[in-house]
Amino acid sequence: MAVDVLEHGHGAHPSAPPAAPRGLRRLTRGGWLRALWTTPLAFGLATALVTGARAAAHWDPVWDLQVLLTVWTIVTPLGFLAGLGAFDYWAYWISGRPARPEDHSGHGADSWKDYFRVNTDHKVIGVQYLCTTFSFYAVAGLLALFVRAELANPGAQFVDTQGFNGLVSAHAGIMIFLFIVPVFAGFGNYVIPLMIGAPDMAFPRLNAVSFWLLPIGGGIMLAGFLLPGGQFAAGWTNYPPLAEVNPVGNLMFQMGVQWAGASSILTALNFLVTIITMRAPGMTFWRMPLLVWSNFVTSLLVVLATPFIAGSQFLLLLDRVLHTNFFVAPDGGFAIGYQHIFWFYSHPAVYIMILPGFGIISEIISVFARKPIFGYRLMAISLVGILILGFSVWAHHMFVAGMAPWLRIPMMVTTLLIAVPTGIKVFSWLATLWEGRIHFKTPMLWALGFVTMFVIGGLSGIYLGSVPIDQHASDTYFVVAHIHYVLFGGSVFTIFAAAYYWFPKMTGRMYDERLGKLHFWLTFVAFNVTFFPQHYVGLRGMPRRVADYAPEFSDWNMVSSIGAFGLGAATLIFFYNMIVSWRHGERAPSNPWRALTIEWQVSSPPPKFNFDEIPQVVGGPYEYGVPGARHAVFDGARTPVGEPEKVGTH
Amino acid sequence: MIIQLAVMGVVIGAASMAAALYIPWLPDIGSKEGGRIDDLYLLASIICLVIFAIVASVSIYAVIKFRARPDDEEDGKPIHGHTGLEIVWTIIPAALVTVIAIFSGVALVKNEDLKADHRLIEVKAAQFAWSFTYPDLDITTGILRVVEGEQIELRMESEDVIHSFWVPEWRLKQDVVPGTVQRLIITPTRTGSFPLICTELCGLGHATMRTTAIVLSREDFDTWVAEQQQAAQAGGAAEGKQAFVNAGCGGCHVLADAGGTGQVGPDLDKVLPSLDAEFIRASIVDPNADVAAGYQPGVMPETYGDQLSTEQLDALVDYLVEATKG
Repeated sequence: MAVDVLEHGHGAHPSAPPAAPRGLRRLTRGGWLRALWTTPLAFGLATALVTGARAAAHWDPVWDLQVLLTVWTIVTPLGFLAGLGAFDYWAYWISGRPARPEDHSGHGADSWKDYFRVNTDHKVIGVQYLCTTFSFYAVAGLLALFVRAELANPGAQFVDTQGFNGLVSAHAGIMIFLFIVPVFAGFGNYVIPLMIGAPDMAFPRLNAVSFWLLPIGGGIMLAGFLLPGGQFAAGWTNYPPLAEVNPVGNLMFQMGVQWAGASSILTALNFLVTIITMRAPGMTFWRMPLLVWSNFVTSLLVVLATPFIAGSQFLLLLDRVLHTNFFVAPDGGFAIGYQHIFWFYSHPAVYIMILPGFGIISEIISVFARKPIFGYRLMAISLVGILILGFSVWAHHMFVAGMAPWLRIPMMVTTLLIAVPTGIKVFSWLATLWEGRIHFKTPMLWALGFVTMFVIGGLSGIYLGSVPIDQHASDTYFVVAHIHYVLFGGSVFTIFAAAYYWFPKMTGRMYDERLGKLHFWLTFVAFNVTFFPQHYVGLRGMPRRVADYAPEFSDWNMVSSIGAFGLGAATLIFFYNMIVSWRHGERAPSNPWRALTIEWQVSSPPPKFNFDEIPQVVGGPYEYGVPGARHAVFDGARTPVGEPEKVGTH
Repeated sequence: MIIQLAVMGVVIGAASMAAALYIPWLPDIGSKEGGRIDDLYLLASIICLVIFAIVASVSIYAVIKFRARPDDEEDGKPIHGHTGLEIVWTIIPAALVTVIAIFSGVALVKNEDLKADHRLIEVKAAQFAWSFTYPDLDITTGILRVVEGEQIELRMESEDVIHSFWVPEWRLKQDVVPGTVQRLIITPTRTGSFPLICTELCGLGHATMRTTAIVLSREDFDTWVAEQQQAAQAGGAAEGKQAFVNAGCGGCHVLADAGGTGQVGPDLDKVLPSLDAEFIRASIVDPNADVAAGYQPGVMPETYGDQLSTEQLDALVDYLVEATKG
């Protein structure tokens, strides 16, 4: 459908792609070879521009690393993207050269090489997203292990305090902006078009660019470790004035967030347009799977909120580089103003990081309990409730920050009320289990693990939501425990659930069930060993983000560190299972879980353009146990969906 | 079925309640305001643990009772929802959180009720030290001393970045933001020494930005005030030692004579005998100019040159030379 729209316009559109160029001409064709010279070229131009301008104006020093980094991190990635061919189609269009809307040479993957170029196939992009974000998960997890190694005993062990603050900040920054937020864009990319019966996303070329912005953001953040003065080290919240007086590494957070944020916004726009305009016939909003619902709501959050964090980091950048005075108190700036802008994104970001997980859990619990999701409509409505309330609670991160005192009570009320729609979801999942036939496959273990761990994280959130209790618990390890229960026990558990659930669809192979279960149980135990004691040390008086702490907390910190290394070991099992199964796993049938949603009604992996016939949606997505009920049928054959797959699936 | 479930819920609820009550999750309470916070904490715990017990028992029960046999291909019962239940689990949590919100609001208002006869203390936070000024007594010190049962109002300012004041035994915390004056109202109820901790990441020395809050009886406090005023008048070594103690130097440095035991910076008993007075003074005023081998620059505050008067600085340097001579 998207293709139809783009077809009009330029007169000439030869349908066959031009023959591959040879010799030196290969350097002019979009791809890694061209990026190999356009990237250094852009870097050189940026350097010449800055040093030239500074020399001409007699500014000292001519070589100012802070200014150079600002321009480098904007211009160099653009050179890289242009070289890779991310803008080729638009450049052809703009310059009046023949653009080829029907050229599908950039779509789909026939070999592994197709995953390393600008690709317009949402399934390839989904896999690109997932592989990239899981790599960042490994990196940020490693950083966390350094942190836990340092904190295993009081006193200084391995790193100095700049090193420690850098590790803590980069761990959080990368986990949030390069793993949890974008990994859901990866699952969404792969699954949403299939689930709604669409051939691709609404804007495939934009989709390709969205992905390639991500490794750029990650590369910038990681490069901070190499800079003089070290990595950005003011926490992932990057509060001024500290962020403004810290060494230049701080810029790498500010600019990394811009690229990752732009990626996030563009993908969300794509999801919104895709979900609104490209649903298969019969797929009304009340027949959409909850995963689609949750991504719809999440995308609204992303589009409305992400510009605020972009703004907050740009204002910091202006303060640092152009010496404006947004947040510098002696010059009339207001440090708390930053926090309001920052949290106006970063609180909704909590929901951006959990709502897609809610969707995943709804799919999995329904399929593996063999029952319709309990209270489907209320489940969808509660997502919208979270969306609306989610924008009115940001200042609960600032109860002790010194903001306008009157704001505390209203924000406390909305914060506590948001427990209501969240509670509805938890109770509905439990009710879905009731009288079901529960199959404990790996995805289901993760889903059940999620529900219990997320409840603990939600309940510790009730404590933090109460202003007076927060006055004690804020900025302590209690908060560290809380966010890891909602982000790790919450989001990451849903991510693992999704990885196992859709692995057969994406790769056409089955993962190893025994290793999957081992991964779950080891993670479940190690997770609680790591993070549960942190509630205790936090309430007893251990502040967060400290490289050293009072000796009375040493025992429980040692326990936390041992747990953390257990988590590291579990992650190795996961990666081993994914990589080996992808290559050598048993062939997956198209519908190993006997699910009703549409992505399971096509082959594993699906054909390049998803559907040979457009599916017709005739009922709800979770009608398990309802005799004769169907979610979708394919016009031509009119075969009852699900039936043929029942043979030999286990 | 219902009985099994109820028994399971009661057992889980009782076990987690016991864990909540018998493990000392919070340090012993040391302020009136903190007492109200502890009451709220108990209320929240009761509500949360009841919810936890319900969720845990239902999920454990369901997982055991409704698991499918290995080759069971049947589907579950097609239950799509139950309006009554859905209303119940919307209304009850809403009511419970409203209760928490109301009690929290009441506690907050009571905690911020400033009495007429309170004591005002001015707090200055700077990387990475605290200083406390008693304007009516003309005393500035790095260790907070307050009177048991007397309400204090802290007016807090920061010289550089955001810091945060926290005494876990008092349960109260407040960020100290440059360009603003932040307030905190506390009525200490228990004598003793308590850690006073910076809880907002403030730079390289954040973990070391700690001092002590000492709650004294009124007599002990008056004695301390008299001693301070005498030492200030006496000048010389007494004033120098006072400056060392009050500026909180002992938090990071060993100095046996003044009871300093900190391990963050160099051991003064060991290093000072080989250094002259001029170098010692320079190291206090501009600590990052020449950092001892094996120590990190940027940790010791650069503010002591402003914080101490010239007189106090002279006295401190003289005292340090004297105290480490033998």
